[in-house]
Amino acid sequence: MAAMTRPAGAAGTGARNPGGSGDSGGLLRNTWLQALAAVAVLVAGYWAARLLGNPAWAGSFPTNAGDSFMAWLDGVYAWIVANRNDSPLFLYFFNYISVGLGSAVVLINQFLDFLTWAGVTVLGVLAAWRIAGWRVALLVLAAFGVFALTGLWNESMTTLSLIITSVFMALLFGIPMGVLAGRSERFYRGIRPVLDFMQIMPAFAYLLPFVLLFGIGNPAAAVVTAVYAFPPVVRITALGIREVNKGAIEATTSLGSTPWQILTKVQLPLAKRTILLGVNQTIMLAVSMVVIASVIGAGGLGDAIYQALSKINVGQAFQAGLAIVMLAIAMDRVTGAVGHGAHTPRIRESRRMPLLAGGLALVILVTAVGRLLDLGGWPRELSVRLDIPINAADDAIQATIGGATAALGEWTQSEILSPLNHLLTGSPWWLVVLVAAALGGIFSGWRTALVSAVSFVAIGLLGVWSNAMDTLSQVLVATVLTIALGVVIGVLMSRSDVFAAILRPVLDFMQTLPPFVYLIPAVALLGLGPVPALAAAVIFALPPVIRLVNDGIRGVPAGTIEAAVSQGSTRWQLLTKVELPMAVGSLRLAVNQGIILVLSMVVMGALVGAGALGNDVVLGLAQNELGLGIASGLAIVFLGLFLDRVTQGRRAPRA
Amino acid sequence: MPSFLRSDTLLRLFAVGLALVMVSSCAVRTDQIARDPNTVRIAVNGWVGYEASAEVLAHILREEMGYEVQLVRVDEQPSWQALDQGVLDMIVENWGHEDLFELYGPEGNGTAVDGGPTGNEGVIGWYVPAYVADEYPEITTLEGLKENTDLFRTSQTGDKGEFLAGAPGFVSQDQGMINAFDLDLEMVYAGSEAAQITEVRRRAANEEPVLFYFYDPQWFQEEIDLVKVDFPEYYDGCDADLEYVDCDYPVYDLNKIFRAGFVENDDHAYRFLDNWRWTNADQNEVAAMIADEGMDPSDAAEAWVGENRDIWQEWLPEGYEDRI
Repeated sequence: MAAMTRPAGAAGTGARNPGGSGDSGGLLRNTWLQALAAVAVLVAGYWAARLLGNPAWAGSFPTNAGDSFMAWLDGVYAWIVANRNDSPLFLYFFNYISVGLGSAVVLINQFLDFLTWAGVTVLGVLAAWRIAGWRVALLVLAAFGVFALTGLWNESMTTLSLIITSVFMALLFGIPMGVLAGRSERFYRGIRPVLDFMQIMPAFAYLLPFVLLFGIGNPAAAVVTAVYAFPPVVRITALGIREVNKGAIEATTSLGSTPWQILTKVQLPLAKRTILLGVNQTIMLAVSMVVIASVIGAGGLGDAIYQALSKINVGQAFQAGLAIVMLAIAMDRVTGAVGHGAHTPRIRESRRMPLLAGGLALVILVTAVGRLLDLGGWPRELSVRLDIPINAADDAIQATIGGATAALGEWTQSEILSPLNHLLTGSPWWLVVLVAAALGGIFSGWRTALVSAVSFVAIGLLGVWSNAMDTLSQVLVATVLTIALGVVIGVLMSRSDVFAAILRPVLDFMQTLPPFVYLIPAVALLGLGPVPALAAAVIFALPPVIRLVNDGIRGVPAGTIEAAVSQGSTRWQLLTKVELPMAVGSLRLAVNQGIILVLSMVVMGALVGAGALGNDVVLGLAQNELGLGIASGLAIVFLGLFLDRVTQGRRAPRA
Repeated sequence: MPSFLRSDTLLRLFAVGLALVMVSSCAVRTDQIARDPNTVRIAVNGWVGYEASAEVLAHILREEMGYEVQLVRVDEQPSWQALDQGVLDMIVENWGHEDLFELYGPEGNGTAVDGGPTGNEGVIGWYVPAYVADEYPEITTLEGLKENTDLFRTSQTGDKGEFLAGAPGFVSQDQGMINAFDLDLEMVYAGSEAAQITEVRRRAANEEPVLFYFYDPQWFQEEIDLVKVDFPEYYDGCDADLEYVDCDYPVYDLNKIFRAGFVENDDHAYRFLDNWRWTNADQNEVAAMIADEGMDPSDAAEAWVGENRDIWQEWLPEGYEDRI
C-alpha cells in the first residue's frame, strides 16, 4: 500500500541522504533563524503598510494583466461555443475522440449488464484468484458484496466501465511515452515539467475546457480521468527502463541486437515489475477521479454521493463512499499482486489452458443461468440500509460535541486563520515576493529562490493575488497541523506493531474515501468556512505522512539504536537525537507530500465555503467562466511549485 | 424464449454497433455517441424540486410508455452545453437564464428550444429564519436590514455582516443588491447547497442569526420557518448590470428547454414532455417525500404516480399505446 501514497514525482528523492544528517543540526538552527528573520520582515512590512494607510504602491498586485488574460480565455470559450457544431476541428478531430470514448464506456457498461451480477462476480473473483491468490479473491468478493448490499450495483458498474476506459487510454499513451522518456534523456527533460503541471493543476480547473472540447458526460469524464491518471505511469515506466542493468544492455548490444530487440527482449521484460507499479498507481488515481468526474455528468458512484449530499443524507453518502473504498482497495490489491507476484497460485504449464477454458465456461454458464432468471443488476430490495444507523450516529456526535467543536472552529478562524490571511493579503505584494524568494533561498538554494519569486509574480500577473494569498494562508495552517499530527502518530505507529496493524486498514480507508463524504459532517461540527475545509484537508493528507514517518523511523538500522541505548540514551533522547535525525529524508518527503495533498484539497474546500482560489475554480466551472477558472487553477499550480521546491530542500535535487 | 435472446436486447446491441460503424466514416457530431435510440436523456440539476419533476417524468416514460430514461446529473450552465452538444434531450426546470437562451436558442446556435412553462413558479430571495424575524420584526424590510447588518457578523467577516450565498452555479445578483442598497454585508459563498443548508441548520439549533440566499419551492422550507426580506419589486432591466441591482429577484415562471433535434423528431416522448404541466403543490408533494421522509427518489415518483393517475393521464399523447 505504501506505493499508493507516493506520487512518483517525489518517489525516492529525499530518502537517499540520511547520511548527511550529522551536520544538519547546526545548519538547521541557522536555517530556521534565517527563515524566522524573513517572516519578521514580512510582519514589519505589514504593519508599516498599515501605518501608512495602505497606499496603492504597498497594496496587493494590480489586476490589469490578469483581467486581460481572463478576457482572452473567455473569448476562446465564446468562439468554441459558436463554432463547435460546424468547425472541421471538431467535426473531424475532437468529435471522433469524443464519440469513440463515449461509446466505449457505454459498450463496456452494456457488457457488464449483459453478464448480470452473478456473471460479473464469478468473472471478477476467478480473475482475482488466478492473478493474486485466494486472499485477494475473497477481498474482491467482499467488494462485490458491498456493491450489491448497498444497493449500488448499477452505479458501481457504471463507475467500473469509466475506470476501465480511462485507464486503458492512460496506459495506451503513457507506456510508450514512458519508454521513450526512459531511453531519451532530452525527451524526459522536456516532458517532466508537463507531468508536474498535470499533477498539481486541480482537476476541477480543467473540467470545463475538456467539457468544451469533448462534450458533457462520459467522453469528457473519460478524458479528464485519463489525463489525471496518466503522469505516474509515464514517470514510473521511465524509471523502470532506466534502472535496467547497463551490463545486460551492453551484453546484448555486443551480440548485435537491434534497438528494437533490446527494448522488447531486455528492457521491457526486466522493467516489467516497475511498470506494473505504475499501472497500479494509474488505476488508483483513476478511482479517485471518477467522483469528481460525476460533476460533469459521468454518473455512477460519484453521482450517488452527490445525490445523497444534496439531501444532506450523510449515511447514504457514506454508503456510496464505502463502495468506492472497496473498489479502490480491491483494484490496488489485484494490480499490486501482479507486480510482486508473491501470491499467484502456482499452476503447472500443462494445466493452464484447461483451467482458463474451465473458468471461461463457468462464467458463460453462470451468465446464461443469470440471463435465464432475468437477473440483471442486484435487486435494490435486497440491500442493507446502513444509512439509518450512520445518520443516527452522526446526529448523536453532533448533539454531544457540536457545541465544543463549533467553539474550536470559531477560535481557529479568528485567532489563526484570519490574522495569517490579513498578514499575507495586507502586505505589499513585492514584499511577499521578496520574502518568498528569501525562504526559497534559505531552504533550497538560489535556484529555488528564483523559482519562488517567479511563481509569486506569475500569480500576481494572473490577477488573483488576494485570493491566492488567502488560499496560501489556509494551506500553511493545514500543512502545519498535518505534519504535527502525522509525526506524532507516525512515531507511535513505529513503536508498536499492534498499533501499526490496527492503523493500516484505517489509513487505507481514509485515503480512498472520497472527501465529499466527510465535508458535510465537518460543516455540521465546525461551522461553514475555511475551518471544515482545513479539517478535511488534514484527514486527506495525513495517511501518507504517517506512513512515511513510520517507514523512516523503522528504517533506522538496529545497530545504531543498540549503540545509542548502550550509551545510556533515554527513550526521548533516542527519538530526538538518533531516530528522527536519521529519518530526515523520509520526514522531508513527508512534509513535501503533505503539502501537495493539502493543496489538492483547496478546490474541495471551496464546496464548504473555504472561498478563495478554490471557489473561483468551482465558479468558473458552474458559471461557464473559463478565464476565471483557468487563472485560479494556474495560480494553484504556482503555489504548488513554490511549496514543492521549498520543501524539497537543497540536498535533494530532483532526480 | 430465454431473455438473453429477446429481440429487443439484440436489436439494441445491433443499433449500438451500427452507430459505431457510422461514426467511423466521416464528419462526426457529438450526438452520435453509441446509445439506445429508445432512450430519453434528461438533465438533473442539483435541487430536490427539480429532481422530483424529473423522476416523475422518468417514471411515466419508463413504466407507461416503454422508454429508457437516463437521468444525468449536471449543473445548470453545463446542461445547456449538453443540449448544444446533443448529449442531452431536455432541461426540466429552467430558472431564467436569458443569456444562455440567446446563445443557444434560435437566435444563436439554434440547438435549444423553449418548451413553455412547467406550471411551477419559482421565487428567489434573501431569507432569515423566523426566530430572527420574531426578535427583530423590522429586519424583513430594507431599512430595518440596513440598520441591523451588524447582527450577522461572524469571525470570518469581521466588522461586516455575513450574507450567506448559495452554490456557485445558482442564478445570483446578490453582490449587485449589496452595492445598490448600500448594505454593510460581505458575501460568503457556502460553496454548495448542502453546505449552506447544513450551516443554517446548525445555527438554527442554537437560534443564531443568519441571512442567506434561498428559494422556493425548496424542501428545506418545510423543515424550518423562513421569512423573506422585502426589497423593491423587480422591474424590467433592473438587473442589467449585475454590479448594481436595485430590485428583488423576479418571480420566475419556470420553463422547459428541449434540444432542437429532439423537438424535430417529434416522437411520443417529446409530445408527452411537451404536454406535461403541474403545480407547485404537486412538485412539493414529491420533493417532501424525497427530502423529509428520505424515500428513494424513484420510489417517491412511483408513489405519486400511483395516486394521481387523473393528473398525468392528460399528459399522455395520442396513440402512445401503439409503441409498447
